[in-house]
Amino acid sequence: MDIGAVLETAILQFIGLNACYYAIAAIGLNVQFGYTGLLNFGQAGFMAAGAYGIGQTVPIFGISMWWGIGVAVGYSVFLGLLMGVPTLRLRADYLAIVTIAAAEIVRLVVRSVAAKDAFGGTDGLTGFASSFQQVGVDLGLRPASQYGFWIFTFSGRNLWNLIVGWTLVAIFGVIVWLLMKSPWGRVLKAIREDEDAVRSLGKNVFSYKMQALVLGGVIGSFAGIMLALGNANVQPDNYSRDLTFFILTGLVLGGVAKVTGSIVGPMLFWFIFAFLDSLLRQLIDQPFRLFGTTLIESTDIGAIVFMVMGGLLVALMVFRPQGLFGNRKEMAFEGR
Amino acid sequence: MTTQVGGTPFHARAPRWFLRAAALLFVALAAFSGSSVAQAQDEVSLQVQVKDQQRDENGRADNQPVPGVSVVVLDANGAEVATGVTNDEGFALIPVPGRADYVVQIDEDTLPDGLALSPDTPSPATVSGDSFTTSRKIVNFFTGQSQSAEVSQIEKVAQRFADGVRLGLIIAMCSVGLSLIFGTTGLTNFAHGEMVTFGAMVAYGFNSAGLHILLAAPLAVIAGGAFGYFLNQVGFQQFRRRGMGLISQMVITLGLSIMLKNLFLWYFGGRDKPFLNYTNQVGQQIGPITITMRDLTVTILAAIVLVAVALTLQYTRLGKATRAVSDNVDLASSTGIDSAKVIRLIWITGGALAALGGVFRGLDEQVSWDMGTALLFLMFAGITLGGLGSAYGALVGGFVVGILVETSTLVGVPTELKTAPALLILILILLVRPQGILGRAQRVG
Repeated sequence: MDIGAVLETAILQFIGLNACYYAIAAIGLNVQFGYTGLLNFGQAGFMAAGAYGIGQTVPIFGISMWWGIGVAVGYSVFLGLLMGVPTLRLRADYLAIVTIAAAEIVRLVVRSVAAKDAFGGTDGLTGFASSFQQVGVDLGLRPASQYGFWIFTFSGRNLWNLIVGWTLVAIFGVIVWLLMKSPWGRVLKAIREDEDAVRSLGKNVFSYKMQALVLGGVIGSFAGIMLALGNANVQPDNYSRDLTFFILTGLVLGGVAKVTGSIVGPMLFWFIFAFLDSLLRQLIDQPFRLFGTTLIESTDIGAIVFMVMGGLLVALMVFRPQGLFGNRKEMAFEGR
Repeated sequence: MTTQVGGTPFHARAPRWFLRAAALLFVALAAFSGSSVAQAQDEVSLQVQVKDQQRDENGRADNQPVPGVSVVVLDANGAEVATGVTNDEGFALIPVPGRADYVVQIDEDTLPDGLALSPDTPSPATVSGDSFTTSRKIVNFFTGQSQSAEVSQIEKVAQRFADGVRLGLIIAMCSVGLSLIFGTTGLTNFAHGEMVTFGAMVAYGFNSAGLHILLAAPLAVIAGGAFGYFLNQVGFQQFRRRGMGLISQMVITLGLSIMLKNLFLWYFGGRDKPFLNYTNQVGQQIGPITITMRDLTVTILAAIVLVAVALTLQYTRLGKATRAVSDNVDLASSTGIDSAKVIRLIWITGGALAALGGVFRGLDEQVSWDMGTALLFLMFAGITLGGLGSAYGALVGGFVVGILVETSTLVGVPTELKTAPALLILILILLVRPQGILGRAQRVG
């Protein structure tokens, strides 16, 4: 078994595009879940809003790709209002139910035959990302050439995706960090701890919650934009319910209500994921089989690794709810 | 992610001649397999069938083949590729050069006198290259009145309504546990959908091991109850004792849901499979609706179980205690009810009912690794409509949602989006009457 190759894969995923868009989505989710205590279980819906906003521009609307950022933000604000208006005056779990449902409906609608002309059905959308890649070329990154050193060797195209992606992570990280130090951010944290107390101070709790939900959703839509641009396509089934749960796992792993947690957590998530995945692939390739011949086939590995990641989320919540960087007190809030 | 090329990894220390020989062999193999693919493509054909739509005396579809009809196959540019004439069995087997886009036309003048193509049959028919799942692609042309046109509007409504009742009963059965667990402990269990799948999986396991489904189903129900007991005993009871926040518990149920779902995927595989018994069922005409005996039995059994649940809740001591605890845990405890015991009981019965719902759903549709996940959202819509945490709310709400989802296709909702109206219900009920139909109003926010 080649443990070096396993580690290499894992390290590349640690800083890869997957970790990058997970981190952006987790920063957004952290605004809602970590700081305000809002149970948004539909972050995948916001990401789909972003991806389809940018994906629709060239193939459907016939406008420049750059308008897509506006379309994406528009979609995610609309989605945020749709989820928030009926639920934010109610107990926390109603938001959880509505967000999980709305995200699933978004996925069903964009992959439906009925709306194929607008969203491309199960084929998704392609042919919109060339102006984005052209910027990288203009800056001197030749798409087919290799750049980098040691194992960190990327094609010009991938390097450009990673540079833009991690720059977005840094920008949103700083924005959220500054916002949470501001009086506005302190109100959000106060709402998480005791909503009634904040209301008694004359704050409009509903409005603050709505702002947090929409802000987190807009940040989440940039994760979708980044995913769409990085892959140069939009696939409806990327935005399933489980995507939200894995982003949440990453966030909890890093530590909620901490900007560093929301960035490092998803990176670690992908490190562990890739490590387990390639380790298992190496193991069942050996002549002696660990669990016998029929129990694990190579097609089962995906399911097994996802199962372990689900178990990781359970174990974290039971034994270390604050994750790596978090503060246990900030995870102790009650659902209201 | 690493991908293994060619299966066996070569060791770096292998002699050079060995690598070269292997590379040569590989190239030869690739060339060989390439040529065999090309050969397979030569055998691609279109099976064009012409049928006259008729019904037998029982009103069942009884299509008759139409022989002697000329068929022309054109390529994507409109050039003629091949022609054929349908044989006595009503089909013409036409070899085509490969898996590409074709247009299939039939010469309507060669149809027997008195027959005309049905308006619902697209003619000429287009065939896309992607749709060749095997080397032979079937293209159908129908003459006469289409079957669906004979179904009156009333029959259609009645049929959808009957399907809706069945779905509604299953949703109601699955969501009793979900609603009562919420009512007693405040926990929204996002892994409840997996408890439904669990039932179907256990039943499928026994069934495929040779046990009849009538024996496998009760075993699955027992296993479902045991599973509920296990989750409460090992997990959520401990969490409550430790004073863990509800939100943390909810996140745990998310992790549990991912874990179980992928366990099922591992065990069961990604494809839908039916139970081994009662697979080939013939629809019976009962009044305006057509229903198989299997589905009818499922509907009646589900109704009986739900009435039994409602009667138990209404009249037995245990049922009264359950309602008291779900209404107000502290008050119930102070009147001497052992609320921990009631909660344990709810997990057991909730798990058993969810498992039974899963078995019924598996009979009704098919068993799949994510069948419960797909139902979860309908269950949420149902219990919110009925009143979160209320004992009867789950029954009423689930039932209404099932009927609404099935009948929504009548007013033009595409079948693939028929669950979308449930979200609409969810949002509307939260805006207008957040406590649900049967819930009691309480001040929130």
